[in-house]
Amino acid sequence: MTGTPAQRTARLLRWYPRAWRARYGDEFAELLIADITERPRSWTRAADVMRGGMTARIAGAGLGGGPLADGTDQASASLVSLACCAAVFLGLGAAIWSQLTIGWQWSLPAARATTVAMVMLSAAMLAFAVLAAAAAVPVVWCVAARRSRRLAAPVLLTAAGAAVMFVGARHFGNGWPGTGGHVPGLVPGGVAAFYWAATLSVSAYWAHPAALTAFPAAELAWMAISPVAMGCVAAGTAMTIRRAGLPASVLRYEIRLGVAACATMVVFLSGCCAWLIDGGPGPRNLFHAGAIDIVSAVVMAVAFAVAQQAVRQARTM
Amino acid sequence: MARELAGFGRYAGPATLILASLAGGAKHGYALTKDIESFAGVRLAPGTLYEALTRLQGQGLIEALESQDRRRPYQLTAVGAEALRAHLDTQRRVADLGLRRLASQWGTT
Repeated sequence: MTGTPAQRTARLLRWYPRAWRARYGDEFAELLIADITERPRSWTRAADVMRGGMTARIAGAGLGGGPLADGTDQASASLVSLACCAAVFLGLGAAIWSQLTIGWQWSLPAARATTVAMVMLSAAMLAFAVLAAAAAVPVVWCVAARRSRRLAAPVLLTAAGAAVMFVGARHFGNGWPGTGGHVPGLVPGGVAAFYWAATLSVSAYWAHPAALTAFPAAELAWMAISPVAMGCVAAGTAMTIRRAGLPASVLRYEIRLGVAACATMVVFLSGCCAWLIDGGPGPRNLFHAGAIDIVSAVVMAVAFAVAQQAVRQARTM
Repeated sequence: MARELAGFGRYAGPATLILASLAGGAKHGYALTKDIESFAGVRLAPGTLYEALTRLQGQGLIEALESQDRRRPYQLTAVGAEALRAHLDTQRRVADLGLRRLASQWGTT
């Protein structure tokens, strides 16, 4: 709490999102300067501004009840949050699922819980693929019809990230001998290998740098690049939704798909919990659940909770 | 409570104070703070004040006027005036009832 009132006000204002500052920043700064001049020391004021800023950020993400400062459609903001949560959920979920499907290439699971989990996870992944395609079609249609320059950058970012993910996952999936098993499974080996390679960065090896040094350089590079590419796809998609100005009918359609996506997340999480709690590692430790799987499940549960809040908020609009 | 204010939850208090203050004429943030402090003995913190202002504006109960320097005054809308009247009527009925019961059970002081 040092500096002139104007400097302290500028620091406090950073708690608020940019759009909020653009609309209310000047007048709020005037109020803060007057308040700081009158009461130079006040921890309650600082805490109140921090809380207000966080509330504005939550509202800006379409997760709270407050109106958005920049007049953006709240349903779009909620949809962006939902897309980001789905990206996190799918990234971690695909890592777990591909690990189990590759195990199945070599041997059938010993525990019934793992078999049930595999069926649930595979069904959920198939549903996610259908939902993602169904969600993408009207957005692509709107973007193509609009031909706006503002959409060029986010579309390019999405396409570049997706291309890197596809080429990299194909390359590393094809080159890995771990998919050479022969037990008929639920999922074709090539699909399992593709998702395994795409989510190679979701690894406990990050906590063991000494073991990482034994990895081939190309594989290490891919482990570093693939999360960036996934981030590009998520960020590009979010910006595209924000800037596309989707019509109300499309937003309603996307929100209905969001409800279905949340239901699919419940199925996936249930299967995941069945495996983590009662699955067992056997045979040959192929279905071993590690700490990273537990952490992933917790993060996915949080992503699901936020996604559900985004859908609930969007449905009230 | 008026339907417009019912969704405010814990912000119903600041919202009522702000609407009551604006009922006396348009005011900017600092003037609102001082006015509310004078008639209610409560000093609304800046974050709380602007959170309530944002919500009230979003619900169409208040509207922003042209900015004076960097300060922007707000004024009550017709919808806001009606919502405040309905809310205060309810509060008055509760207050009247409470006072009558106090008088009958505890006597007048």
